[in-house]
Amino acid sequence: MSGLAITRLTVRFGGLTAVRDVGFTAAPGRILGLIGPNGAGKSTLLNCISGITRPSAGSIRLDGTELAGLSMHRIAARGIGRVFQHPELVAGFTALDTLRAGCHRDLHYGLLAELFALPAARRQEAAARHRALAALDAIGLAADADRDMALLPYGHRKLVDLARSLMAAPRFLLLDEPVAGLNDAEIDRLADMLRELRDVRGLGIVLVEHNMALVARLCDEVVVLDAGRVIAHDVPQAVLRDRAVMAAYLGEAPADA
Amino acid sequence: MTGRRLLLPLAAALLALPWGVGGYVTYLLTLTFIYALVAIGMNLLTGLAGQISLGHAAFFAIGAYATGLLTQRGLLPFPLALLAAALLSTGIGALAALPALRLRNLYLAIATLGFGTVVQKALFEWRGLTGGGAGLELAPPHIAGLVLNNGRALYYVALAVLALGLWCAGNVARMRTGRAMLMLRDSEIAAGTLGIGIARFRVAAFALSTFYAAIAGGLYAYLVRYINPESFGLGLSISFLGMVVVGGLGSRAGPVLGAVFFVLLPEAFRGIKDAPGLVFGLALVLAMIFLPRGLAGIAPRSWRLT
Repeated sequence: MSGLAITRLTVRFGGLTAVRDVGFTAAPGRILGLIGPNGAGKSTLLNCISGITRPSAGSIRLDGTELAGLSMHRIAARGIGRVFQHPELVAGFTALDTLRAGCHRDLHYGLLAELFALPAARRQEAAARHRALAALDAIGLAADADRDMALLPYGHRKLVDLARSLMAAPRFLLLDEPVAGLNDAEIDRLADMLRELRDVRGLGIVLVEHNMALVARLCDEVVVLDAGRVIAHDVPQAVLRDRAVMAAYLGEAPADA
Repeated sequence: MTGRRLLLPLAAALLALPWGVGGYVTYLLTLTFIYALVAIGMNLLTGLAGQISLGHAAFFAIGAYATGLLTQRGLLPFPLALLAAALLSTGIGALAALPALRLRNLYLAIATLGFGTVVQKALFEWRGLTGGGAGLELAPPHIAGLVLNNGRALYYVALAVLALGLWCAGNVARMRTGRAMLMLRDSEIAAGTLGIGIARFRVAAFALSTFYAAIAGGLYAYLVRYINPESFGLGLSISFLGMVVVGGLGSRAGPVLGAVFFVLLPEAFRGIKDAPGLVFGLALVLAMIFLPRGLAGIAPRSWRLT
């Protein structure tokens, strides 16, 4: 029962079925790639797991506990982290603010303690600030702490965004095209980070990605979606050689797999 | 840091001011402090959480009537009545607004507008309690045996409450609730997937803002000492929203500057024959065109909340 198990998941938007009877299990300590052409239902699937979209049928279980139907923050509280394709900016937030916002669930003081800046609130805020600075340091962006997020280079923003979702110590991390818009050096850095999360922290990672070279070298297994259905589920080398998969990509050969 | 260095002389000037100006100016300044309190609360709701209310005159009114009635009937001393009235108003606000809190932006604005109308109507009709359209006259309040029977006393009370209100709002803005509200404003899905309860923090923002409005209402009741449902209409709700926008959404000094703009500027234009409203309206338009970030946009960076 361990892991993130998706069973017969279906999502309909009016007459359109975006996800149809999808099932697979993501295990802790593994990176599962989720690939497929545009419109295959990859992001919808991630949105379902995060609670942004309600599934029409099927179940999403984390270590046996049903997540489908819970609200976003409860799903997050159970250990599902999410990184969006484009970092969601908050006007005026610095990198440090962004990471402190990620500490939200670790702050337990009440509203009165907050209004009057009581010692409990100050202490916990100081701890959160300390953790946020340490996290920035760990991704090599300590110098960006007090810079406005909107003014950071895109690659830095994506790293901060990833670091933010890690502040809540998730057990599974859902990433939507984490390397889109990054240069080669930044892609390598992000790949190293994800490997470390998998190997050192034992995190389970679900990765939606179009960069096949990255999928091939990073993923332990790959699920291929087409028109809302799973058409393949195997190790990357097998999947990327699969004829049906290539046909789904309209005959496009993967760039350098 | 410019803001910090200005603070001490500013505080000294505000403390000395009632002794150097006439009773009417003292009254106007007290009114400014009271409106600024409402605006500080509205800033948490609108500037931080991104929600618009067109019904805050109702919470101001509930605060005014409840404070007045509780003290007048000898149920509670003035400071406790102020607090009780604010809690009552917050409770009513939370109950009435809970369904509305599922709404967003303009939809919430229209729902709160409806709430404001209902409250004003209720104050008119519930004559046994509120005196209806005849209004409610109030004797000067007491604090710890002291009768606050002159304008200066209430000026200092309002100034102290304003200072406390500013400090508390500043604390909220830079801590957990403030960050959560800002995240809600700009990205609900990012907030939700970080574990921030969307409904909970939207209610918190609304409740905090109604608390501020009600405290201000209680002070207002004893500033004017005669309250009437007429004083708490839609025009006032719109002015409260106007103060936050003109002052600068999400800035610390903004609500205060906005209150100054809305109370003192019309006074400055009173001398203009026949057209004070016209000139004030024009000033409002010009302020929005030339200061899109509000009056606080010209204030030092250290005064900004975010």
